[in-house]
Amino acid sequence: MILLQSPSRFLLQILQDRLLSPEKGIDLDCHSVEFDDVRYHIQFSTRNPQVMVLSVSLPLPPPEAIFFDGLPFGAIDAIKTAYGSVVQILDPPKDGYNLTMKLNLSKLPSVEEQRQALLVKIASVREVVLGAPLRFVLKNLSAKTVAPEMDQLIALVHRPKESFFLVPQPDKVTVVYPMRFQDSTDIVLATSFLQELVEARRTAGLNNAPSCMWSATPPLELKAAPAQALTANAGFVTFVIFPRHVEEKKLDRTVWSLLTFHAYVSYHVKCSEGFMHTRMRRRVDSLIQALDRAKSESEKAKKLVSFKRLSLNETRSNSNS
Amino acid sequence: MANSLRLYLTCIRNTLDAAMCLQASLEFRTCLAVFLKLQKLLLQSKVQGYSKRTSENFPCQEVERHNKPEVELKTSPELLLNPVLICRNEAEKCLIETSINSIRISLKVQLDGYFIVKQSDELENILAKKFLRFLSMRAESFQVLRRKPVQLNGLPVEAYAGYDISFLITNYHCEDMHKHKLIDFIVQFMEDIDKEISELKLSVNTRGRLVATEFLKQFV
Repeated sequence: MILLQSPSRFLLQILQDRLLSPEKGIDLDCHSVEFDDVRYHIQFSTRNPQVMVLSVSLPLPPPEAIFFDGLPFGAIDAIKTAYGSVVQILDPPKDGYNLTMKLNLSKLPSVEEQRQALLVKIASVREVVLGAPLRFVLKNLSAKTVAPEMDQLIALVHRPKESFFLVPQPDKVTVVYPMRFQDSTDIVLATSFLQELVEARRTAGLNNAPSCMWSATPPLELKAAPAQALTANAGFVTFVIFPRHVEEKKLDRTVWSLLTFHAYVSYHVKCSEGFMHTRMRRRVDSLIQALDRAKSESEKAKKLVSFKRLSLNETRSNSNS
Repeated sequence: MANSLRLYLTCIRNTLDAAMCLQASLEFRTCLAVFLKLQKLLLQSKVQGYSKRTSENFPCQEVERHNKPEVELKTSPELLLNPVLICRNEAEKCLIETSINSIRISLKVQLDGYFIVKQSDELENILAKKFLRFLSMRAESFQVLRRKPVQLNGLPVEAYAGYDISFLITNYHCEDMHKHKLIDFIVQFMEDIDKEISELKLSVNTRGRLVATEFLKQFV
């Protein structure tokens, strides 16, 4: 799996299993944690077997990216638009969570295709909630306008205590990611990946992709950003998004890709390290084999002889007893 | 590039041959000119009596009933031969120290903080460091590998005079294993390090290219 998927497999599985046996009501109360500290809490009770209570906890926002009522800008509207009458938002949310919703599964559309699509949408609650402000800005971009309350530098959360920045303009939106990693190996690998990103954009066939740049120092767009947001040990990545990238059908995918860019790079850095370990282990095995070849024949024969003697003794003692 | 590697490895192989089989070479007179020069180099200014044979069992002179690899302790100069340093370029070198019952081979394979490092070299640096640490941790299964590379006394670990990986071959190893096969192993080890680091670097670059292309394709 190269690209990160938008619907959470955990949620989707639970929803689909529930719908296979709607009459049987079993109590269910489980928690799940996803990458970048997003947590889910799912509850089903026997009293209302068709109603699912879903609580979502979002990563802690840094000081420059504020939540309104514990949720990103425009999240409530986005949920109502996406889920319609199926959802009922509970206020206040459960303790320790940013959002609690009641989903009435009996109100799902009866047409199989629409029902499946809505289930996938419910499982993509992370994209809907966290990506709400980004979606808002990009929707305005496709209409070539800028909302008055969203025309300065905007900071959005994508990881615990870290944010990325948007500069919305009528004809394009510039997205800047300060990339931070904790391990020193991670930093070097990520820097090489990010530079490959810039190289790959130049190859033919990707001319329509958003232009991307990498720099070790904060770019000009971040002039107005607070100082602590300007330190990044793996550099800054800048994407320029044009209206053609946010047309009707592409909007959701663009939102998800931009929202999880850092997680995507981090995931592949870790995969790379795992692969390197496998290779190194294989190389160690081959070197040890080479060393074994250096052992003299008498050494190896000595070992075989002792085993033989052992087994002969055993059989003799067995036949005696 | 590959040419210099071949020459470097041949030189190391010959030096090890000379270091481990000194006795045999004096008797059979191998015709490699370098070989004889190396013997002279190793034997220079040492007491002739002890330095005729190497890699044979030699119990400790100072402590009764102890048997230590003399190259590690370096307490008695008459038991040690001249160390030989073979440099491929500024960054790569090989130090071979011989004594009456053991040989220590130290390798340096990468640039370190003392020199200015380019971006691509930085990747090679961490890959080399990772790989060599991986090997050193498994020194037990390798038998002739030393857990820590040789450092110059008094200087910190990052100083430019230290080494990256070291071998210690004692007379016991020479008894268990054929000498020429042991030398084959050391030379193959060095080739493998080079090959592995360049393959790891290639795999990182390939993966980076693939990851970047897949990401950008989503927007097209």
